[in-house]
Amino acid sequence: MFLRVVLRWRLRQKRRRKEVVPPSVRRRYSHIGPAKAVSGSSPDGSQGSVNNKKCEVLSAMPASRSRHVLICGALVVVLVLIGAFAAACGEAEEETTTTAAPVSSTTTQTTTEAAVTTTTAGETTTTAAPTPEEFIFGMVLVGPYNDNGWSQANYEGGLYVEKKLPGAKMVYVDKANTADRPGTTVEQLAEELVAQGAQMIFFTSDDMKDGAIAFARANPDIPVVHSSGDGAWVDGKDYKNLPNLSNIMGRMEYGKMIAGVAAALTTKTGKIGYLGPLINDETRRLAASAYLGAKYAWTEYLGKDPAELKFRVDWIGFWFNIPGVTSDPTQVADNFFNQGFDVVISGIDTTEALVEAGKLSQAGKEVWAIPYDYVGSLEEAPAVALGVPYFNWGPEYLKAVTAAREGNWSSFFTWVGPDWADINNPDTSMIGFAKGEGLSADAAAKVDEFIAALAGGLNLWTGPLNLQDGTPYLADGEVATDQQVWYLPQLLEGMEGQSVSE
Amino acid sequence: MDGATLVIGLAGVLTAAAPLVVATIGETFAERAGVINLSVNGTILLSAMGSFVVAVSTGSLVLAFIAGALIGALVALIVAFGSITLRQSQVAIGFVLTLFCRDLSYFLGNPFMGEKGPMLSVHPIPLLEDIPVLGTMFFKQDVMTYFSFVLIAGAWWWIFRTRPGLVLRAVGERPEAAFARGARVKLVRYAYTTLGGALVGLAGPMYSLSVKAGWKGTISGLDGLGWIVLAIVIFGAWNPVRVALGAYLFGLLQWLSVVLQPHLQGIPSQVLQVAPFPLMILTLLFVNIGNAEWVERVLAALPERPRKAVARAIRALRVVQPRSLGVPFEQD
Repeated sequence: MFLRVVLRWRLRQKRRRKEVVPPSVRRRYSHIGPAKAVSGSSPDGSQGSVNNKKCEVLSAMPASRSRHVLICGALVVVLVLIGAFAAACGEAEEETTTTAAPVSSTTTQTTTEAAVTTTTAGETTTTAAPTPEEFIFGMVLVGPYNDNGWSQANYEGGLYVEKKLPGAKMVYVDKANTADRPGTTVEQLAEELVAQGAQMIFFTSDDMKDGAIAFARANPDIPVVHSSGDGAWVDGKDYKNLPNLSNIMGRMEYGKMIAGVAAALTTKTGKIGYLGPLINDETRRLAASAYLGAKYAWTEYLGKDPAELKFRVDWIGFWFNIPGVTSDPTQVADNFFNQGFDVVISGIDTTEALVEAGKLSQAGKEVWAIPYDYVGSLEEAPAVALGVPYFNWGPEYLKAVTAAREGNWSSFFTWVGPDWADINNPDTSMIGFAKGEGLSADAAAKVDEFIAALAGGLNLWTGPLNLQDGTPYLADGEVATDQQVWYLPQLLEGMEGQSVSE
Repeated sequence: MDGATLVIGLAGVLTAAAPLVVATIGETFAERAGVINLSVNGTILLSAMGSFVVAVSTGSLVLAFIAGALIGALVALIVAFGSITLRQSQVAIGFVLTLFCRDLSYFLGNPFMGEKGPMLSVHPIPLLEDIPVLGTMFFKQDVMTYFSFVLIAGAWWWIFRTRPGLVLRAVGERPEAAFARGARVKLVRYAYTTLGGALVGLAGPMYSLSVKAGWKGTISGLDGLGWIVLAIVIFGAWNPVRVALGAYLFGLLQWLSVVLQPHLQGIPSQVLQVAPFPLMILTLLFVNIGNAEWVERVLAALPERPRKAVARAIRALRVVQPRSLGVPFEQD
């Protein structure tokens, strides 16, 4: 039975091989045939007809070739027209003329140039040769500069510096990640910024740790800031002792605690989901902070049993969605909502959780979400947003750029909390929390009460606290040191989800 | 996980896989006619961006979907012109176009990054939605998901049960014979490549206005899906029903990787996150295994009983591509 199948298949294969004459071969024959006829100079009539045919072929050849050229030309014109049309729609006419070919190096250059021209509204100076009073700082961003998240918060920090410090100019390169720029290192991108005149470099992602350190080591004269890193922390585990390397980070733990409070006060099912990026020290301590805030509100404000609060962390694998590398954050958020988690706190750079909550609430579901990083992200689905804990990098970046410009740069590590007088003050507070429309008036009042309590010295990182596997983390009454918080080895007891990535 | 959650989850898989279904069936049409449209990945991105822009500027979802289909048809038309009229390499044209469209979409879409656009809403079908389990899965969806269901059946019927479908298959298998019988090979190829491109173009707005609402440039999470579409078409042996099953299988794998994460603490989360893509490629390998000669030799060495079973399984999975796929037709 089987043999018969194989035989039949073999036969079919053979038949196929016989039947299908590749067109390339046919073309070759048709060419050779007449050519032979030419060499044989016989007065025979039949041969003559072949000769005639051959002549036709010959005379037809250039014509068909020229037709090909014409058609190819037409194709190019069509493409150029599409490009031109594109440029007209793109609201960026100047750029298209310069970026004809999408070669990565030229595009980065033009985008950064565009950044300079757009940010220095009105001025026509380009990045060439800095004048003495000018100070150019470079910024490497992990995502697009307008991602409504982490990268945009950093980018706007740079704009703040430009606005506050006359003569300061930013050049930046965004999408510095392996998916968008395979084979390019952040050091190379930073070198490019230096070539454009940058006198100081900001590396603005945890992901760029190695690159920032390598660059600082290779360029000891250039001040380097690695935001969210710990390479310049004398008391940290990873101190590198490089005089030009500094770290800036905000104490987002507070922002996440406030988000946790807002979530716990809103949830009706008692189930809160946390959409986590990749698993590391930073993301663990931020997820844990959200949990601490939620537990505090659950027990202190609502008087409920902490065992009834479900808090689960699902990780996607990177700061934003890369198909084939990460889970799809939309699906992860969707899965939370489907399983009865009615509030999702986002820990990733982008806003999928909020968009998905907006979509489901359109379909009649009662769900909410809390985005992250950037104050403007609430706009994507205002009605279901409880609020957003956000970074305000501007004031700290201003201090750093000022120090570098005036020549009194020294290595520093700074981990800055909110300005408790007004956590939403754009000129003084590194960490803020903007409330969203989805937060009820009662809950909003409680959130304010919580912020006041934090300002008054409430510290949720106080024992007794256990790690997820039950090992003691803080004894009763013990307050966590900065090192203990920064390097939190696992999630906390009471949280569900993976603690370590390997 | 209780039953209701499972059903909602599976309904979500059907929604999430709907753009893949539409795109794969579009590509199936083109490849059945003998033209590989390799520009799928770029087309989806460009039409996702284009239709999102249209939706934001006009507020009309209908216009947005029309725009998406037009963009897809236009790109496919370039492929058709290059490969049918100019007789150039389909692979080269498609590949260049996919890169071009991708970068073009990022560049043009930049001013619309992160804007709030309209979204498709769910339209339950009265009465049918009350059927337990099936009602939630199949009859509480948005319009385009219903369209994807209809398309599967419609495409199958068209290709295998109608006379134009017969011509389509003939053109993809033996264009010379079809031509001799009076089929206008080039016209048929043009028509189905463009139609297929329009369907692929519909997948874009299905993402940007429904499944992954919004436009986020490089972090939209759409880059790469087009390649999976091409893989699924091969997996599905150019049969709309099997192709759709492939799309659902991929959707299911993605969903499982999300759902299982909390339960499989021992496995590194990265493994599950990446799994659907290599798994899809592996299945591809598996369905093609029957075409390799060494498999026959291995099979011949097996004892009678298992050999029959294995042979039957391989035969059921095996795929044979349209014979003239990728071969330009010369009319002499």
